[in-house]
Amino acid sequence: GSKQAGTPADNYQLARRRTLQVVVSSLLTEAGFESAEKAAVETLTEMIQSYISEIGRSAKSYCEHTARTQPTLSDIVVTLVEMGFNVETLPAYAKRSQRMVITAPPVTNQPVTPKALTAGQNKPHPPHIPGHFPEFPDPHTYIKTPVSENNIFISFLILRKCKEKEMHPNPEPAKCLISVTLPLISEGRNFSQLPDLLCLPFSLLPVIAARPFTVPYLTALLPSELEMQQMEETDSSEQDEQTDTENLPLHMST
Amino acid sequence: MNRKKGDKGFESPRPYKLTHQVVCINNINFQRKSVVGYVELTIFPTVANLNRIKLNSKQCRIYRVRVNDLEAAFIYNDPTLEVCHHESKQRNLNYFSNAYAAAVSAVDPDAGNGELCIKVPSELWKHVDELKVLKVHINFSLDQPKGGLHFVVPDMEGNMAERGAHVFSCGYQNSTRFWFPCVDSYSELCTWKLEYTVDAAMVAVSNGDLVETVYTHDMRKKTFHYMLTIPTAASNISLAIGPFEILVDPYMHEVTHFCLPQLLPLLKHTTSYLHEVFEFYEEILTCRYPYSCFKTVFIDEAYVEVAAYASMSIFSTNLLHSAMIIDETPLTRRCLAQALAQQFFGCFISRMSWSDEWVLKGISGYIYGLWMKKTFGVNEYRHWIKQELDQIVAYELKTGGVLLHPIFGGGKEKDNPASHLHFSIKHPHTLSWEYYTMFQCKAHLVMRLIENRISMEFMLQVFNKLLSLASTASSQKFQSHMWSQMLVSTSGFLKSISNVSGKDIQPLIKQWVDQSGVVKFYGSFAFNRKRNVLELEIKQDYTSPGTQKYVGPLKVTVQELDGSFNHTLQIEENSLKHDIPCHSKSRRNKKKKIPLMNGEEVDMDLSAMDADSPLLWIRIDPDMSVLRKVEFEQSDFMWQYQLRYERDVVAQEEAILALEKFPTPASRLALTDILEQEQCFYRVRMLACFCLAKIANSMVSTWTGPPAMKSLFTRMFCCKTCPNIVKTNNFMNFQSYFLQKTMPVAMALLRDVHNLCPKEVLMFILDLIKYNDNRKNKFSDNYYRAELIDALANSVTPAVSVNNEVRTLDNLNPDVRLILEEITRFLNMEKLLPSYRHTITVSCLKAIRVLQKNGHVPSDPALFKSYAEYGHFVDVRIAALEAVVDYTKVDRSYEELQWLLSMVQNDPVPYIRHKILDMLTKNPPFTKNMDSPLCNEALVDQLWKLMNSGTSHDWRLRCGAVDLYFTLFGLSRPSCLPLPELGLVLNLKEKKAVLNPTIIPESVANNQEPVISSNNHGQSVGFQNTFSNSQEEEEIDMDTVHDSQAFIYHHLNMLERPSTPGKEQSAGEINMHPVSAAPLSVFSKESNSSKHSDHHHHHHHEHKKKKKKHKHKHKHKHKHDTKEKEKDPFVFSNSPASARSIRSPSLSD
Repeated sequence: GSKQAGTPADNYQLARRRTLQVVVSSLLTEAGFESAEKAAVETLTEMIQSYISEIGRSAKSYCEHTARTQPTLSDIVVTLVEMGFNVETLPAYAKRSQRMVITAPPVTNQPVTPKALTAGQNKPHPPHIPGHFPEFPDPHTYIKTPVSENNIFISFLILRKCKEKEMHPNPEPAKCLISVTLPLISEGRNFSQLPDLLCLPFSLLPVIAARPFTVPYLTALLPSELEMQQMEETDSSEQDEQTDTENLPLHMST
Repeated sequence: MNRKKGDKGFESPRPYKLTHQVVCINNINFQRKSVVGYVELTIFPTVANLNRIKLNSKQCRIYRVRVNDLEAAFIYNDPTLEVCHHESKQRNLNYFSNAYAAAVSAVDPDAGNGELCIKVPSELWKHVDELKVLKVHINFSLDQPKGGLHFVVPDMEGNMAERGAHVFSCGYQNSTRFWFPCVDSYSELCTWKLEYTVDAAMVAVSNGDLVETVYTHDMRKKTFHYMLTIPTAASNISLAIGPFEILVDPYMHEVTHFCLPQLLPLLKHTTSYLHEVFEFYEEILTCRYPYSCFKTVFIDEAYVEVAAYASMSIFSTNLLHSAMIIDETPLTRRCLAQALAQQFFGCFISRMSWSDEWVLKGISGYIYGLWMKKTFGVNEYRHWIKQELDQIVAYELKTGGVLLHPIFGGGKEKDNPASHLHFSIKHPHTLSWEYYTMFQCKAHLVMRLIENRISMEFMLQVFNKLLSLASTASSQKFQSHMWSQMLVSTSGFLKSISNVSGKDIQPLIKQWVDQSGVVKFYGSFAFNRKRNVLELEIKQDYTSPGTQKYVGPLKVTVQELDGSFNHTLQIEENSLKHDIPCHSKSRRNKKKKIPLMNGEEVDMDLSAMDADSPLLWIRIDPDMSVLRKVEFEQSDFMWQYQLRYERDVVAQEEAILALEKFPTPASRLALTDILEQEQCFYRVRMLACFCLAKIANSMVSTWTGPPAMKSLFTRMFCCKTCPNIVKTNNFMNFQSYFLQKTMPVAMALLRDVHNLCPKEVLMFILDLIKYNDNRKNKFSDNYYRAELIDALANSVTPAVSVNNEVRTLDNLNPDVRLILEEITRFLNMEKLLPSYRHTITVSCLKAIRVLQKNGHVPSDPALFKSYAEYGHFVDVRIAALEAVVDYTKVDRSYEELQWLLSMVQNDPVPYIRHKILDMLTKNPPFTKNMDSPLCNEALVDQLWKLMNSGTSHDWRLRCGAVDLYFTLFGLSRPSCLPLPELGLVLNLKEKKAVLNPTIIPESVANNQEPVISSNNHGQSVGFQNTFSNSQEEEEIDMDTVHDSQAFIYHHLNMLERPSTPGKEQSAGEINMHPVSAAPLSVFSKESNSSKHSDHHHHHHHEHKKKKKKHKHKHKHKHKHDTKEKEKDPFVFSNSPASARSIRSPSLSD
């Protein structure tokens, strides 16, 4: 592939495949070949890749079969035996004299699967679940939330937490909050346990406490993300009307 | 300066001419808020025996002064730090104001005074006698300045640039002395070299051209070198340093804009209009912008929204806005235009003295008005003029007059032109802020009157002449005596008016400039059918405070059936009645159209009018060519015709206001028609909404149909099929946008027979909120939503109180509950998606206060106090503070009052401190004639301390404190104080002798000196224990006032009088010799710190006290122990010489 750059995933694959080609070529040299056809090398590479993949796949099956998550050495040994490989010969082969040293594949970043926005604190495992088990999913995916005005504040608190953690707040949750018109009033509930809430006139109407800003003018003057988005939308939809230079959209980097 | 003197040209009050000044600030520390630097003044003596140089300097710590590289002794004395020194129990505002005025004039550069007095080293005297140049080099530093320079340092992570820390100069009038030593006068012009060494990430913006920026060798700092070659007064020098983003104006490359990080897109939009303002001014003045560059800087925590300095203006960052904001756009543009007008008149052209200030403010305000007319149209302009006129009229009638050109002859108390005021108008620094605002307003209105008299063409020629004279003078680099051409004076201005126009405007000037007060007309008329004459009666009230008598022409416009006719009446001494012949007969031709003033001919339904009279409406002074208030009586149908058919917006607005008194179906119809008429000026339509609401309330029992304006609103803004659902917002048409905003607010004022807001209206407003949809709108709806909350607040009526039960949500009135829910929702939503300038939070806070005041929810300031904290947006803070101020008044809470007052002293933002005092003055917790539990001695002491010494760093704040003190306690001794005890003295005969120095001009006062001492000699000591009546109390106050004035004058005279060794005083001055020699003994290097000079001052003061004790007549028996007398026996033994010699501080050292 003469292709310059693909996705990170492509790059990762390519790098590994190139290393395998080097491996095959060196094995061929070791076996006494002076040259090889490209097609033959390709075929051999394909074979060695399949072989290695098969080892990995089987080892994983063996390990899962015994209710574990990480393959151990014994899983590999069993796999190799099963595949008809004489394991005893391996140490001697590894220590042979004419062995060539092959450089490790270049470090390319393992493609990261984008992590979903975490909201809230994940529940810790109860004592009877071993630590190696995966974490609980985000609370909002399984907690039942009856519609009430509490939620809006809790969501707000969550959102604020996200901001505090310097995560880029996704504008989506904010939008959701707006589109859902929740009744804000409940009877006789006490919100004092929520630290961020100050209770207006009576202790019944929860108001988010006023928090001073370090730079108050920024929030006051800059259009909010939602407004920016809206403006772009209206601008694109009304482009025919946009003739005056004064109303050019603002492009801001946040 | 009186006018005759001014005719001869400018006479400097100083014995030297300043030609060039270097200001170098080599270190600015944001963490510690400190500044280190030096200044170097190049001065030419104008008198041979100059041996003392007086400069202005406040707050600065002065390390070292050198004159031509020779160490020079200096003293630093600022009497304004603490106005009244005695820890007496006076507490009398009259006393304070006099003492404060005396203190300010004691350091007034326009009188040749200053806080810093430098002695020219004796080695240089010969040099001085040859009038050779002196270079005065002063090293100084500033630590945590409380005024003059304002540091904004956000409390967060990162270095100063990342935090957006910045610093800028600010202040009211000439306040440059707060941040470097200078001649802080608008009349002392010189060229400037300004150098600022700042962090490499920061930008320093200052006056003039940026010559170069040089990195220091370690590359961590940069030095900005600015050169200002146009002679400029120190008071017009400014500075802003911060991590600014820089935008070169795309239309004019010599203009640069600066703003704080992240705001660049807003800056781009906001300033995109500025070049048009430039073009406008340059065109009308036929004069290029005088400076080679212009800089606008937008900073946070601004002292004022707009501050103009030579070639740069400092604006509040809150003026920045994006393209989505409608309401702020015209306001910001107005601020930009105002700042630019002041560049020509105010910065480039400066003034000779304080009494010429009105010319500068007048011209800049006037050309700004012309810009308004061109930009926003004649309607907006006339509306604005009317608004300004109403404001000044209301203020003058309230306080008793604003004097534009005060002349101070000889300082006699009787001639005090502002005896009705509780402050002195001799100095800008003693003026109440509100007075100064009104002063500016009156100044530009008077300029407009002059324009009416001499025509705009001549007016602009005069301006052009002033500018071209000034620019010729400014290019004379080496002829500093020419520079006074750049100063404008009242007489010079009037002279060029008479030269250019050939008209005599002296009566006009006499009436409006040399005299305070406005005119109050009462008009009524009768139509004499037989003679076909309109008998107009115009009365004047010229006895009430703030009024004056008007004699001269007055225009009256009469709209008759046959057309509109102007008549000019001569208002004379005793003529009240004026007969005006009518042109048309009352018989009317039904088919005929009626011609209007502007030539338009319209069909009118004439059935409403009086069949016998051809008069449709009458207007008195329609062009507003007199500063007046007119109360005119005409019948309701005439007002209605005036509203419908008169094309002048001012007439329409007057008609609307008058119609409030005529709640009839005809008025209703006229107003509704205006509301619907799209050609009508939007402000008139907005005003009509409120009038309609009032009329509807007066007609509530006979009102038919849906609530006023509802069907109109529905028709204009709601869906056709579902009338309670509002259309998606579309604010493309600004007129209808403003109407859409206003109508719900006015509708909410409607009341039914039970005096409640009709349920239908409330539900309608709630629906507007519910269905509000701004998705497709290109503009922000934050102002609209804010006004919907205002509408909700307007609908609130007092709660029917059910015997003080504990209010919970359940027993809340269901309507109020709905309102409260909406407010809560909006308030919470603001936290997630804040609106521009937090307009919605502001409205919510106001609405909550309304609910509290009406007894629906418990009154509680906690919420407001949390929003008033430092760190909230300034608009929100002001709204919250306003609510706390109101709470303080209604609930008479001493605790909240204390909280507010502590904020006045401690808040980091000067504007907030000023605003709290302002709001407390406008909505005082109690007034002088009221009994209030809040009024106690501690409060008096606290406020007294605040104005006496607590606010010396900010003129505006101090005057605000004086205003508040006046509102709370009046001019005389606060009634809550107990009668004074020990220690005060009274001597009526003595008073006369002491009075003299203040009354008589300085030269005469000197001669008075021996009289005092001889009096002293003949008297024995006396003390009085208590006072028997209040009259005596008054006397004492005056006594001490004059005493203290005499003291201050005296103290200053000592320094002022040149006493060059060798050529000693004449015989007449012989008394003064020891006095003038005395301060010399403290002239030394050690006396440099301000602390020391305080000390020095203190001695003076003590001696003064002793002297006073000494001169008291032995009229009253005194209980004073003799110990104190024994302490300083020489007081007695030294007499008569003691009166003079004890004043010498050297004796006590």
